[in-house]
Amino acid sequence: MTLVDDLQAILGPDRVLSHPLELLVYAKDAGVTPGEAVAAVLPETTQEVSACLRVAARHGVPVVARGTGTGLSGGAVPDEPALLVVMTRVDPAWEIDAASRCAWVGAGALNLDVSRGIEGLGMHFAPDPSSQAACTIGGNVGTNAGGPHCLAEGTTVVHVLGVEMVTASGDVVVLGSAAPDPIGLDLRGVVVGSEGTLGIVTRVLVKLTENPPAVRTLLLTFDSLRAAAATVSATIAAGIVPAALEMMDQPMVIAVEAFIHADLPVDAAAVLIAEVVGLDEGVDAEAATIERIAVEQGATSVRVAGDDAERELLWKARKNAFGAVAQAAPNYYLHDTVVPRTALADVVTQIYEIAERFELEMMNVFHAGDGNLHPLVAYDAREPGKAEQVQAAAEEMVRVSVAAGGSLTGEHGIGLEKRDLMGLVFSPVDLDAQARLRDAFDPDGLMNPGKILPRGARCYDYGMSALPESEPS
Amino acid sequence: MMLHQEMARLAKGLVSDPVAGAPDADITLAPTSAEDAASVLGFAAEHSLPVRFWGGGTHQGMGYPVVADILMSTHRMSSIVDWQVDDLTVTVQPGVLIADLEGELQQRRQTAVLQEVPGQSTVGGAVAAGLSGWRRLRYGPTRDRALEVRLATGDGRLIRGGGRLVKNVTGYDLPRLATGSFGSLGLITEMCLKLWPLPPEHAMVPVQDAERALALAYRPLALIETNAGATLYLSGSREELEAQAERVGGDLVSGHRWPQPLVGAVEATLRVPPSAVAQLVEKLRAAGIDFQAAHGVGEIRLVGSLGELAELRDTVEATGGALVIGKIPKGADFDPWGKPPEGIDLQRRVKAAFDPRSVANPGILPGGI
Ligand SMILES: Cc1cc2nc3c(=O)[nH]c(=O)nc-3n(C[C@H](O)[C@H](O)[C@H](O)COP(=O)(O)OP(=O)(O)OC[C@H]3O[C@@H](n4cnc5c(N)ncnc54)[C@H](O)[C@@H]3O)c2cc1C
Repeated sequence: MTLVDDLQAILGPDRVLSHPLELLVYAKDAGVTPGEAVAAVLPETTQEVSACLRVAARHGVPVVARGTGTGLSGGAVPDEPALLVVMTRVDPAWEIDAASRCAWVGAGALNLDVSRGIEGLGMHFAPDPSSQAACTIGGNVGTNAGGPHCLAEGTTVVHVLGVEMVTASGDVVVLGSAAPDPIGLDLRGVVVGSEGTLGIVTRVLVKLTENPPAVRTLLLTFDSLRAAAATVSATIAAGIVPAALEMMDQPMVIAVEAFIHADLPVDAAAVLIAEVVGLDEGVDAEAATIERIAVEQGATSVRVAGDDAERELLWKARKNAFGAVAQAAPNYYLHDTVVPRTALADVVTQIYEIAERFELEMMNVFHAGDGNLHPLVAYDAREPGKAEQVQAAAEEMVRVSVAAGGSLTGEHGIGLEKRDLMGLVFSPVDLDAQARLRDAFDPDGLMNPGKILPRGARCYDYGMSALPESEPS
Repeated sequence: MMLHQEMARLAKGLVSDPVAGAPDADITLAPTSAEDAASVLGFAAEHSLPVRFWGGGTHQGMGYPVVADILMSTHRMSSIVDWQVDDLTVTVQPGVLIADLEGELQQRRQTAVLQEVPGQSTVGGAVAAGLSGWRRLRYGPTRDRALEVRLATGDGRLIRGGGRLVKNVTGYDLPRLATGSFGSLGLITEMCLKLWPLPPEHAMVPVQDAERALALAYRPLALIETNAGATLYLSGSREELEAQAERVGGDLVSGHRWPQPLVGAVEATLRVPPSAVAQLVEKLRAAGIDFQAAHGVGEIRLVGSLGELAELRDTVEATGGALVIGKIPKGADFDPWGKPPEGIDLQRRVKAAFDPRSVANPGILPGGI
């Protein structure tokens, strides 16, 4: 029996796709690198995922988990022909424990649907990637997704108390729980952000966050990018951790304004969206402090959203920024590096210099409060040599971030895109340790191979001597 | 004895007097650098010599007893390596006392949110034991503030994971894995922690109905109930504190007084889903057991008899939680962890990835890993 026959025996003919044209759609994500799938399956339950993984293991075919494919680093793109397990239909009935402020939801649930589904409880799921209307909770777990409101609340890993996961061998295991500090090693914490390389997550125990009683949203305008960046650093240094602190530069503001019409100041060099949440009695004072800092750093105007509608419009502008660019350019490449917040102004300046040197059209919208940079390069891949230029500039941007004490990725993940840059931040011994950790979950290397770690990450790939491994008892 | 001499020769400068309170070991070593710690562990692995790690010794009663040839103390690795005041991160060596670190941070009105009880606890010990302190309801567990870790692994490698950045998804999350690992992967030789700014004022509100107050208050630091009653712990501006007190209907008391540690022959912590706390509190009160319960978190510290604990363990495990022993008389027949977690084989393989010869605090974890 072929792989496809075996899979069809489990799922029937309709939920196993093997026609090359059908596969084309699934074997890519929102990033730039395409891949190749041998088949794609659409399981609906944990048991079906498990059965598919057993079949794949028997055939020795690698497996790649896929949510909705909004990932930007090639995490869900097969590095070698693989079985794609499309998780969007895995969303059994949720189990909500309002008193413990947590809920088991399906990996296939959309991020925004989870927050909407618990709205009535006065709570929400805090991680809010700009793609939240389209991405899955399983994908969020895979990438440890962030979002504007992860500055004070923390990224996905802080909001995932447990996962139900199918391992490469098809076994189902629950890691973590609603009780604090489950005993034993924190394998849940390792699975979050592991980009589908340790197993396929089928259900997620998400933490629910209380909605704040009061919100103030500020739009701060600057005539230099440096002043905006300095405002971010000074705010953090003043001991304020706002709920969100996002920056857009002028090219981005212009692109967004044309698309959303949020009355953004298109003549400003940069804008910051700052949001503070809390008690009615506290938010105004905090907003005033941010305003004072901004003015000290040279803000040219400050606008406080007058009502919910204005606030929502500002966020709509922020969260649709990429969509706005996608409309305008045939291709775009979205970077994701992270730097210490004290280095923000310097690194942003260097990134502009790089874009200028490569003659690239660049715009910026990013999670400034976390030091998480997202330079976005709009280009036309049909122009000869352009894609290579974009790639070369990308690598330089990563290098200046790393040189400033930063790292390769703040939220989009390593995937295929950056795995060969891992050596910039980790030594061979560090990478070998990560490879061993991965092998502990998936000894045969069938789960999303070729992701996160560069080839040769294992010391023994080189025949470098480490201690011989004892048999795990 | 032979071993002692050989070790003493190899580890010349590292030999230390036995540490107060520590059990007998053939030799006590106190490395001054990560490299030293790694070479000792490499030697230990080569000769299959179990090593027990020692910080301040305040939580050595946790887990299965470790019988070790080498006791490795962190007291000579006690520097604050790098404090990025304006980025709200600090990097420290494991032997730094929590009280010293918090004292230092307080001068710039910051906190690492480590345990409130002053004393001998070290940062490394608190991280390795995964202790989060009372303010967890507001700031989350220590694990969520572990940004970077350097580890001398059980087989003598020196590795680093994470980064000194508040947001980062570069590679597997080793800092979180190391937090609460009880030395089972190796010695934490350095770690970077995320800091929080200290709010301007602190206050408490005694409350009658803990769960009701929890529902009414917005993001308090803690709501702790003991046999003496329940207290809401708040922070913020004066206006915020007053508003919160009015909402929950109680009187503000300035400052914070945290419950003193419960001391007894048997000390334990219940870890349960937050929704199970209220009922357990009733049960404990009825049974006359001394307890300190963190509402909204699900952690209940208590002292009691082994008989009482045995009964409680069944109740707690039925909620999906655990009863974890903090201290127990030597030789007492009581499992310190109880029912092992799911995926125990996976746990074993992960330990082996870092400590293939099983010399780093061997057997301390659930399942005897
Ligand atoms: C316009 C736009 C805006 C974006 N904004 C943000 C943002 O603000 N913040 C942010 O963090 N990201 C952002 N992203 C990136 C992306 O949306 C996130 O990475 C998201 O978490 C991916 O979810 P997905 O369901 O699309 O996963 P996919 O892209 O399908 O997969 C992502 C990774 O997770 C793995 N995976 C998927 N499902 C599972 C599972 N069930 N079990 C195990 N592994 C799994 C995959 O193998 C892959 O490695 C944005 C993307 C776009 C296109």
